[in-house]
Amino acid sequence: MEISTIVALVVIVVVLVMLVAIYNQLVALKNRYKNAFAQIEVQLKRRYDLIPNLVETAKGYLSHERETLEAVTKARDAAANGLVDAAKDPSNAEAIKKLAGHEQALGSAMAKFNVTMEAYPDLKANQNMMQLSEELTSTENKISFARQAFNDQIMGYNTYRQSFPNILVANFVGHATDAELLEFADSAEIQAAPGIKF
Amino acid sequence: MDFFQSQDRARRNTGLLLGLYFAAVISIVLLMNVLVFFLAGFQDSYIAATQQVAYDWQVFVGVSVVVIALVGLGSLYRIHSLSQGGQSVAEMLDGALLVDAQGDIRKRQLLNIVEEMAIASGTPVPPVYLIPDQAINAFAAGYSPGDAVIGITQGALENLNRDQLQGVVAHEFSHILNGDMRLNIRLMGVLYGILLLAVVGRIILFSARGGRSSKRDNGAAWVLAIGLGMFALGYVGKLFGTLIKAAVSRQREFLADASAVQFTRHPAGISGALKRIGGYEQGSILQNPESEEMSHAFFCGGVSFAFGALTSTHPPLAERIKRLEPEWSGDYLSENVPESSASRGKQGVATSSAVGGLVAGFGAQSQHSAGQKIDAEHVLNTMGHPDATQLNLARQLIAAIPDALAVAAREPYSARAVVYLLLLDADAKIRDQQLTHLAAIADGNVMQCLQAMLPLRDQLVPAVRLPLLELTMPALRQLTQGQYVVFKDNIDALIRADQKMSLSEWALQKFVSKHLGEAFDRHQRRAGKKTLSAVREHCSMLLSMLAYSDATSSTEPDVVFAKGRYQLDIEVSLLPRESMSLEALNVSVDALTDLRPLLKPRLLKACITTITADGIATPVEIELVRTVADTLDCPMPPISF
Repeated sequence: MEISTIVALVVIVVVLVMLVAIYNQLVALKNRYKNAFAQIEVQLKRRYDLIPNLVETAKGYLSHERETLEAVTKARDAAANGLVDAAKDPSNAEAIKKLAGHEQALGSAMAKFNVTMEAYPDLKANQNMMQLSEELTSTENKISFARQAFNDQIMGYNTYRQSFPNILVANFVGHATDAELLEFADSAEIQAAPGIKF
Repeated sequence: MDFFQSQDRARRNTGLLLGLYFAAVISIVLLMNVLVFFLAGFQDSYIAATQQVAYDWQVFVGVSVVVIALVGLGSLYRIHSLSQGGQSVAEMLDGALLVDAQGDIRKRQLLNIVEEMAIASGTPVPPVYLIPDQAINAFAAGYSPGDAVIGITQGALENLNRDQLQGVVAHEFSHILNGDMRLNIRLMGVLYGILLLAVVGRIILFSARGGRSSKRDNGAAWVLAIGLGMFALGYVGKLFGTLIKAAVSRQREFLADASAVQFTRHPAGISGALKRIGGYEQGSILQNPESEEMSHAFFCGGVSFAFGALTSTHPPLAERIKRLEPEWSGDYLSENVPESSASRGKQGVATSSAVGGLVAGFGAQSQHSAGQKIDAEHVLNTMGHPDATQLNLARQLIAAIPDALAVAAREPYSARAVVYLLLLDADAKIRDQQLTHLAAIADGNVMQCLQAMLPLRDQLVPAVRLPLLELTMPALRQLTQGQYVVFKDNIDALIRADQKMSLSEWALQKFVSKHLGEAFDRHQRRAGKKTLSAVREHCSMLLSMLAYSDATSSTEPDVVFAKGRYQLDIEVSLLPRESMSLEALNVSVDALTDLRPLLKPRLLKACITTITADGIATPVEIELVRTVADTLDCPMPPISF
C-alpha cells in the first residue's frame, strides 16, 4: 500500500470522527438550551399563578374597571397556554415567538392595570396587594435572569451551528435553523437610549 | 475498605484500564490485518494478479495506522467531549434537569433525598436529571463531586417508593464518594473508540450496499467485505470493552450496595428497589442506544448482554439481593409497594428528632460558640462512608435553615444572594462597608434580594453555614459562563471590601471556588503522588494556622502544635505568627492536594487533633478543617450540630 493511500485513509478517518463530533456537539448544545428553558418555565408559571390572585384582590376595589381586569386575565391565560407549547419544545421557533408575543401583551395589560391602580390609593395600600406586587416584581426579576441564561445558551448553539465547517454538517442532520432567542418587548425599551423630552 | 483505600484503588485501576485498552487495540489491529490478508488472498486468486501483496509490510503498516488512528481519535474525541463533566453524560441520555418540584410530591421527595445525602456526606448537592425512560435505573456521572450529577429514570421515579429511591440514591453517592465516576467517564471515552470501528463498518456496509446493484466489479465487493469485517471486529472490540468494564466495575457495585445499606441503615430500601426491577416488565433496560456505552455507570445493568454473567458490568440481580437479604425467598416485586408503616414511622421519628435538634440547637447556641469535643478517629471513619447518624444530622441541619433561605438557595437568581449573605461579616460596621461596595458593582435586583434576607442572617446557626452553601450548588451551576464570571468577581469584591479576610470567609470562598471551578472552569485534579516530606513546609503552614486559631489564653500555640505534629509524624515546625496569612494558607492547602491518597488521613488526623488540643473544637475551626478536607478531595461529613 502506498504512503499516499495511507494518508488518504487517515484523512478519511479524521473527517469521519470530526463529523460525529460536530453532530454530537450540536445535540449537546441543543439539550443545554432546552434545559435552560426549564428555569424560565418555573418562574413564568409562578408569575401566571400570582396574577389571578392579584386580579381577585383588585376586584373588590376596581368594580368600574372590569375591562382592565378582564384584559389582564385574558392575556394571562393566553400566555399560560403559550408557555405550555413552548415548554414542549423550546427549539420550536414559532412557539417561542408566540410566547414572546403573549408575554408582551400580558406586559402591556399589566402596565395598564398598574396605571389604573394609581387612581385607587386604598387598593395600593391593601396589605395583600402590596405583598402580591412585591412577589410579582421579584418573580419578574427572576424571569429576566433566567431568560438571560437561556439566551446565552441559545447564542452558544447558534454560534456553533453557524461556524465553519459546522454549518456544512448542521444543515444535513436536522440542525438547519437557528434557535429563537426569547426577547420580551421590555428589553428593547430598556436598551433604547432615553428619548429627549421638550 | 476505607475511603482512602478506595480512592487509591481507583487510581490504580486506571493503570489496569490502560493496559487492557492497549491489549484490545493491539488485538483488533492484528485481527484486522488477518482479515485483510485473507481478503487480499481471496481477491488475488480471483483475478489472478500478483500474489505478493498479502505479505507486503506496507499493507500491514497501512492497515495498522488506519485502525489505530480510528480507535485513538475516537477515544480522544470522546474523552474530550466527556471532559465537560457529568452534565454532558446526562444530556447525552436526553436528561432534563429537575430544577423545581413544581408541586409534584415525588420530585420533591427525590430532591430532598439527594440534598440530605449530599449534606450528610459533606459534598456539594449534585443537580438531578430526569431521564425520560420507563425502565428503572439511575446513574452518577462527573469527574469530581463539584461537577457530579445524578440521573434517575422516569420509571424509577414512578415505581419506587421513598425508601427504595433513597437506597438507589445512596448507592450512587457511594460511587461519587469513592471516585468511581472518574473511572467510569474514562472507560466510556476509551470504549467509544473501539465501538467506533463498528459504527464506521456499518456506514461502509450501507453505502456499499446502495451502489451494489449497478456495479458488478470487485472493488465494490472488496469495500463491502472490508465494511463487514470492520463491523464484525467492532463487535469483537465491544466484547473486549465489556470485559474491561466487567473487570473494573462489578466488585464496586457490591461495595456501593453495602455502602447504601450503611448510609440509610435500611437494607429493605435498596433490596426493595432491586426486587422491583426484577419484577418490572421493562426491568432496568434503557431504550436509548447511547446507554450501551455507559452501562457500567448505571445502578443496574442498563442494557442486555448476549454473553451473560461473564461480561456483565453488574452482578446478577439475585446475587445482589441475596447479599443484602440472605433469607430472601426469590420473589420479585411485580407492583409498587407503598412505604411500610414502619419506615414511615421512622421518618416521623427523624422529623421529630430534627425538630428536637432544632430546638436544642437554638437553646444551646451559647454552647456552640464554646465549641464541642470531637473524636478524630471516628470522624475519619465516617469519611466516604457516612452512616445513618450523619443522615439524621443532615436532616436536622436542613431543618434548621430558615425556610426562606432554603427556598432561595434552590434557584439560581436568589442563590447568589444567599452566598453573598454568608460572606457578610458579623461586625455591623464591616458589613455596611461590604454592602456599599457590593451595591456599586452587583445587579440592583440581587441587592434587593439580599436586603430582604439580611434579617435572617442572625438566625443562622454556625453549623448550618456550610450545609446552606452546599444547598446552593445545583442552582449556581445553572449560571451561564457569563453570569458565573460576574458572580465570581462579586464574591472577590465582597471579601476584599473590608481589607481583611476572616477564617470563616476564607473557608466559604474556598468551597465555592473549588466546586464551581470544577463545574465551570473544568479544573481537573489528578490523584497526587507526593509524600508528606515533599510538602513539609505546607504542612507546617496549615498546622501553624490551626494551632494559632485553637490556642487560648490557657493553652500555648506551641503546645497545641506539638500535639498535631505528633500525629503527623514528620518534622514540621511552628511558623511565627507574623508569617500567617490567608494567601499563604491558600497556597499551602492547594499544594497539599498533591499528597498521595493514603497519606491524607494522617494529615487530616493531625488537623483534627490540633483543633481539639484545647479539649474542644469551635464551629469556625470545624468549618475550616472540613473545608481543608474538601479541598483535599476528601469530603468530611458534618460533625455534629
